[in-house]
Parts: sequence; C-alpha cells; structure tokens
Amino acid sequence: MPELHEKAPAGAPLTVKDLNTENPRWCVGCGDFGVLMGFKRFLVEEQLLPHETVNVSGIGCSGRVPFYVNTYGVHAIHGRPITIALGVALARPELKVFIHAGDGDALSIGGNHLIHGIHKNFNCVFILYDNQLYALTKSQSSPTTRKGHPTNTQPKGTELEPIAPIRFALGMGASFVAATADWLPDHMVNTLKVAYAHKGFSFVHVLQRCPHFDPENFDNKSSAWFSFLTHEKGVPPDKRLAGKTETIQHDPSDHEAAFKFANSSHTYFGLFYRNPDKPCYDDMMRQRIVNAKPLPRSGILDSYKI
Amino acid sequence: MQSKTVNNVRVGRFELLMDAGFGAQKAGDILIRAFARMGKYVFIEPTIPAEISPPPRTRPALSGVIIRVAEFDLENIGNNTDVILASHEIVLDRRLDDEEHNPNCRVLLDMCDKDLPTAIYDKVLKRVKDSGLQIFPFEVVPEAQVLIKSLAGKARNMYYIGMLACIYNAPEEFVINEIKLTFGTKLKEDVFKKNIDLFHFGYQYAKDNVPFGYEIKNASGKNGHEKILIDGNSALSMGIIESGIKLVSGYPITPASSILHTLAKVFPSFGGTVHQAEDEISAIGTAIGSYYGGVPALTCTSGPGLSLKQEFIGYATAAEIPIIIIDVQRSGPSTGMPTKTEQSDLLSVIYGSHGDSAKIVFAVHDIIDCFYAPILARYLAEKLRLPVFIMSDFQMANSYKVLDKPQICEMEDSNKIPDFVLEHFGLERLPEHIEMVRTQQAAPGTPGKMRRITGLNTDETGTVNYFSKASQRSHAVRNEKVHCVQRALKKPELFGGREEGDILIVGWGSAKGAVEEAVSYCQNAGLAVGGMCLRFVNPLPPMLKDIFSRFKKVVTVELAYGDPQKHPPLAMILRAETLADVQAIISRVTGRPITPRSIETKIKELFHAGVA
Repeated sequence: MPELHEKAPAGAPLTVKDLNTENPRWCVGCGDFGVLMGFKRFLVEEQLLPHETVNVSGIGCSGRVPFYVNTYGVHAIHGRPITIALGVALARPELKVFIHAGDGDALSIGGNHLIHGIHKNFNCVFILYDNQLYALTKSQSSPTTRKGHPTNTQPKGTELEPIAPIRFALGMGASFVAATADWLPDHMVNTLKVAYAHKGFSFVHVLQRCPHFDPENFDNKSSAWFSFLTHEKGVPPDKRLAGKTETIQHDPSDHEAAFKFANSSHTYFGLFYRNPDKPCYDDMMRQRIVNAKPLPRSGILDSYKI
Repeated sequence: MQSKTVNNVRVGRFELLMDAGFGAQKAGDILIRAFARMGKYVFIEPTIPAEISPPPRTRPALSGVIIRVAEFDLENIGNNTDVILASHEIVLDRRLDDEEHNPNCRVLLDMCDKDLPTAIYDKVLKRVKDSGLQIFPFEVVPEAQVLIKSLAGKARNMYYIGMLACIYNAPEEFVINEIKLTFGTKLKEDVFKKNIDLFHFGYQYAKDNVPFGYEIKNASGKNGHEKILIDGNSALSMGIIESGIKLVSGYPITPASSILHTLAKVFPSFGGTVHQAEDEISAIGTAIGSYYGGVPALTCTSGPGLSLKQEFIGYATAAEIPIIIIDVQRSGPSTGMPTKTEQSDLLSVIYGSHGDSAKIVFAVHDIIDCFYAPILARYLAEKLRLPVFIMSDFQMANSYKVLDKPQICEMEDSNKIPDFVLEHFGLERLPEHIEMVRTQQAAPGTPGKMRRITGLNTDETGTVNYFSKASQRSHAVRNEKVHCVQRALKKPELFGGREEGDILIVGWGSAKGAVEEAVSYCQNAGLAVGGMCLRFVNPLPPMLKDIFSRFKKVVTVELAYGDPQKHPPLAMILRAETLADVQAIISRVTGRPITPRSIETKIKELFHAGVA
C-alpha cells in the first residue's frame, strides 16, 4: 500500500489527490466510480481530516470503496458494516464515520442491522449503493431488483416486487432520508454535505448503474423519469439539470409529504426527511457514564465482602 | 422430644427443593450468607428451570439449591447429598432421578397438601425407602400455615430456612440478620415480621422434632484473609472492570446474560458501557469496531450465540483486530438444555469459523480464575491481535463460594499486566516483539498512518494480495502468534505432586475441583494416580506428551458426549497432540457437574479390570 501517508504537507488544504490510493478494480462504466468521486469531492469540500475519517463497508463491489480513499477504513464482512461502525462511534465520538453498503448488504443479509442502525440513530452517514442486483457474485436477484428482471438465480425474471428503500427508512423512523444518483455528481456532493451536517443516522440512497449486468437500468441520458425535491434546508437540484428537470419544493420536516413521494412509482432525488431532534444512541451511552457517580476500581469487590 | 444425634463433620451437603417462583434460590442465598459470615466455607449450586414459571407441582418446576458447607476451602460442589428438604413429593421424585444422594441421605418431605390422596405420596415414600434412604415426613405447624396463607402461599421458604438453620446449627441471629439484609427495605414491616415469625416456627419445629443435626467448624477466618462471597459470572464481571475493558457488548442468552445484568448496574461508574445489541452477530461486530477504535471491548455468549459469531471471529483473526469472547457453555446441540452445564463447545471454539482461523482459548478453573481471566485475555488479545476466548460454563457461572479476596491491580496498559496474574495462569511474559501480518497497526485518529483493514488476504503493507506466497505467509504469521503462547506455557500443576504412575486423570476448565479431589481420594487409598486440569486448550502446553509418557494410562473426564466409538473433544485433541492412547472415563452429558466420587469409582474400576 504505497499511499499510506498523508501526502499534503501539514496545514495545506486537502485535495482529491491526497485521497487517492490505488486504481479501483471496478468494471468500465461502473456507477461506483461516480459515487467514489462524489464522496472524495465531498471530503475535500468539507476539508475532513483523513486520519479522523473512517469508512466502513460490507462485501460487494461497493465494499471496496474504503480501499480507494486514503483515510482509515474497515472492509468488514457481508451485511455487518453497521455493527462495526457503531463500535467505532461508541469508542471514538470525534471520528467521522461513513458506512458504504450495497443493496444486498444493507437490505438482505444485513437487513436486521439496518433496522437497528436507523432505530439507534447513532451518528454516521450511511450510503446505500443500490444497483438493484448482486454484481460481485455475478448477477443474482437482490431485494431491490425490479420484478421481471432476469438474473442467474431467477432466469425467468425476478419474482418479487422490490423493497423500496426510502419507504423502508421513513417507516423505520429514520431521522434523515435523502436520495441521489451516481451520475449526478453535483447533487451527490450536496446531498452528502447535508447528510454529514445532520447529527444522527443519515440514510442516503444512491441509485447506481451496473453496466455489466444490467445496462438498461437507469437511463442516465434522460432526466424525464425523475424529479428533484428541493428546499432552502434541503439539496438544490443538480447543476447540469437545473431548469431541465422537474423540481418540487418539499419541506424536509414534513413526514407525511415525504411518505407520499416515497410511495410514488415516480423517482425523486433530494432530501425527503430530516428530524434534527431525534436523540442519538451513542450520545445516550456516553451520557450514562457522565450521569453515573464515578467509583474507584479499587473498591469493585467491596459489595461482595462477607 | 426424642434425643438428637449431632454429627460432627468436616464437610456436608444439603439441598432445598421447591417449585420455581417460591424462593428456593433466595432461601439458599440467605443460608449460605449466614454460614459464610459465621466463618464456614460454602459452595452453592442453584438448580434453575429453563422457564420462568413452569406450572407448580410438576417435574419441570424443580427449582432448588445444592449447598456444600465445610471447614476447609471448597473447589467444587462435591459428591452426594446428606440432607434433602423437599417442598413436595414431585420435586423430590424428580431430583432422586439424578442419583446424587448418599446411601444414608435423610429426606425431609413436606406433607403440606393434605387434600391429596395419600396414594400420591406413597409412591415417592416407597421409592425413598426402597433406595435405603431415611424419610422424615413433616407438616408445617398450623400457626405457620395461617401465616403462609395470609402471604398468599409465599414465604414457606422462610420456614424451611428455619429448619435447615437449626439442623446445621446456625445461630438464629445470624440468619435473621441475612434475612434483614435481603428483605429489610423491600417488604412492608408487617410482611417482614411474618417472614421472621415463619423462620422462628421452622427453627423451633426442627429443634423439637428433627432427630439429627450437623456441626461443622467455623474455620475460614484462620488464614487471616478478608473473604468475599461471589459467583462465577459476577467474578468475571468484576474482572472485566479490573482489566480496563470499557465496552461489553452482548445479546441476551442464558447463562451469559447475568454478566450483562451485573455490569449494567455498575459499569458506567467505572467509565464502561454495556451495549445490548440487536443480535449475537451485531454484538461481536460492535465489540470489534470498538477495539479497532482503540477501546478494549468484549462480547459474552453461550452455545447458539457462539455459532452466530463464528464469521466475525475469523474476521478478527484475518483483520488483526483484538477481540475477547466469553463462552459460558451450556448443554447443546442447538437450544439443548439452557440451564444445564456442559463442556462440549471445545471443538467449535478451537476449530470454529472457517478456514484456518488462529485464536487463543483458555478456560477458567474456579471463581478466582474468573476474576483474573479478563486481565489475561486483554493482554493476549492486544499483544497478539487475535481473538481470545475465555471458556466458562453454566456450573461455573452460577455457583458461588467463599474465597479470599483477590488482589486488585486496576490494569490500564495491558503491556503492564502484573506478573502475579501471568504466574496465576502459568504463562511466561510474551516476547516484546511479535510479528503481525501487517507491519502497520495504527488506530484511527493517528495522523499520517491511515490504513484499511480487511478480511481479504493482504501482504505486509496491508494491500489486498491473492498471490500464493502472501497467503502462505499470513497463515504462518498468525499461527506463529499462537505458537509463541505455547512456548510461554509452563507445566500444568500435577495434583498431589505425583509425576508418574499408573493412571493420569486429565480434565479441563471447571473440572479442576473434582479432578483434584478425586486424585486425593485415590492417592490416599494408595493408588498410583496423578491428575491435572488444563486451562489453556489452544494452544496446549507443549510438555503434555512428556508428562503422559510417565503414566501407564491417561484418561479424561469431561462433560461432553463420548462412547466407545467416539472420543469426546478433550480426549480427541489430546490424542492428536500427544499420540497417547487417551481414553475418556467420564464423557457424559447429563447436565450435572462431574463429581470427585464418580471419577474415583471409574478409576477403581480400571484398576479392578487390570487396565492399569
């Protein structure tokens, strides 16, 4: 690993170059390149210190993201990045924790942890890389694969209706729910900035292309099939598409309206919902210690004396 | 009243058997606290049903305590029972199935339920008499019955405490003091008084009507050490605080949960967090995340939870993140018998996870080990960056005893582990430098040392590497960490100092007390029998082959299944390690602990058969 050291001299501003490591081992045209670039640009715009940033991922194509960003990182086991991220958040509140998980990782094998990550609302940014199938294992149906799409495990077409991640997150009581896409670089950076600014479990759904196994999905040449949700406290529409794509004013504190958009068959990008007041589990755990009367370890056996 | 026979004994054992939910455990707790305060050594093993409130007057409802009292330090629950007090015939009948009573055991049976046809009692009474035991049927005196009725049928246990206190000659004021400490502030004054009255009635009843008693000397004060009374899981919990671990992450599972319960009450006062995770996998994941962040963490579990954690255990090995796992073993496979003891996780711990996943596994011998184990585990986990297992079991977790108060070291830096802890576990200090798969091991927050950890194979720079040499090297480096622990292991204690002879008895973990006592019986009988009990099971001490070669026969005793066509786990690993023809003489899965007498009997059978 040649890029082990922070390349910028102390005090110099962080640049994308400082964050580069090796060349990603993804297919040509993979949507993960877009997310990776967006993520690095976000780190640079926020000037987050690489040694205080921890990227935690699961298994899959998106699981490799931590390798390609010169910060601290944990490439965990399949479905479990949230569990590790919580451990890091409890141990080191000053660290900036980002979770990178695919649709299989987050909604299938790791579904239980996503429920409880959202529920606990511990402070992190959770990025769901949704290419709507298992790619690294070579095209199997995932919980978000569209009905009828043929895969290697369901060659006559995927049987079930897909899970709608935004609806799921809102239903679980997520304190922050936003959506963006790998081919909207400007929108992605702005979404990550709003997500990072939110204290709690910031759920960011990213539509991600998989040109190798599902090239027809997500027509990134057209913007007719989606709309932007925007608000002064939300995310502006992507710069390149402003004025060309439907843009709807939506107050992110309006949970009911957020659900309406989430329930629609139409696709919306932007900030669906944000509740800055939901308490965070990691804070509560720390508060427990603050509230407890400190006791010396020398007396731990006193109550067992006979 | 008839004349009373008082037996002066060095050690005795009695049982109180009741329906779950009627306070047998509480009664046992009060009694042994009183005994302990008087200066007796005690060891108590609760019998707990797996359900919260099984229907009363059924066999599954059996809830009770087995109490061993002695004038000397006790390391196990002993062999057989001298006195059983049963609240009705069904729990008695159920317990007699375990065949743990002395041939002259005295059975006090409450004939409380006069409405039942006598035929129901007759069957059990006949069983007791046919087994040659002495039966003493009794009835709770009418005044006490009135009190019990006014307390909605509860508090009968107070009457029993009174009887047992009298039989074991505990002064009333000692017991009343313990009742006060237990209930004093929780019960209304009139209810509390009724409880005390019931105690007096029971005491008086036994004084007037029970024709036998026991006298055991109060000798625990002799060595001048301060004493504590503690159970295995509480000792582990306090040891966790002592070791400087700051996060305990778990999921409810019997019999490990009480570690979470104990710590939940006090851990924040010591800067620690108890985290109840959404499942067993998440529990270990969060502990690994914390340790990656540089904050020492531990997860505790039992059989089914162990299975769920296996993938993460291999991950910690590969990613070189320290992690400590406590496995409080219970009867398996699957849900098995959650409140019964067993030692059958040995192989799934040593060989668990997939691939070749190096790890350190050691077991606790007794309650003092429970207290020191987290300190040693933290030292090993951080030094080696490997998973470290502490193996306990249901019996160890729930038994409690009087012991000398252990020394407290308040460890901060695991590199500064006190010598006495290493000596206690028979381990030399590990070498200063131990090679890791990755040269760089900085924790997040360290400027300029950013790194990514992974379960994928890497080379020494941390770069993912699928090439042949890199995988071979990673395996060698990880296994060398285990080997260096093996080289640091000292020779295990040989009980009675016997280094050679006819038979060597080998156990592991909680079998220690029973093996040691059995060896003393055999040696006192003039038999050339030695014994040892292992703490470290992975790696094993390197000198076993040499020790085994000096005995004609080596046998194991273990609470795991074996039969003539199947070696139980300990025998299996010892055979593989030493090529000695190790055979198990006890390999049962009854859920009951190994008794010294059962080992002695098997050894004598071997001599009788001319095997040794």
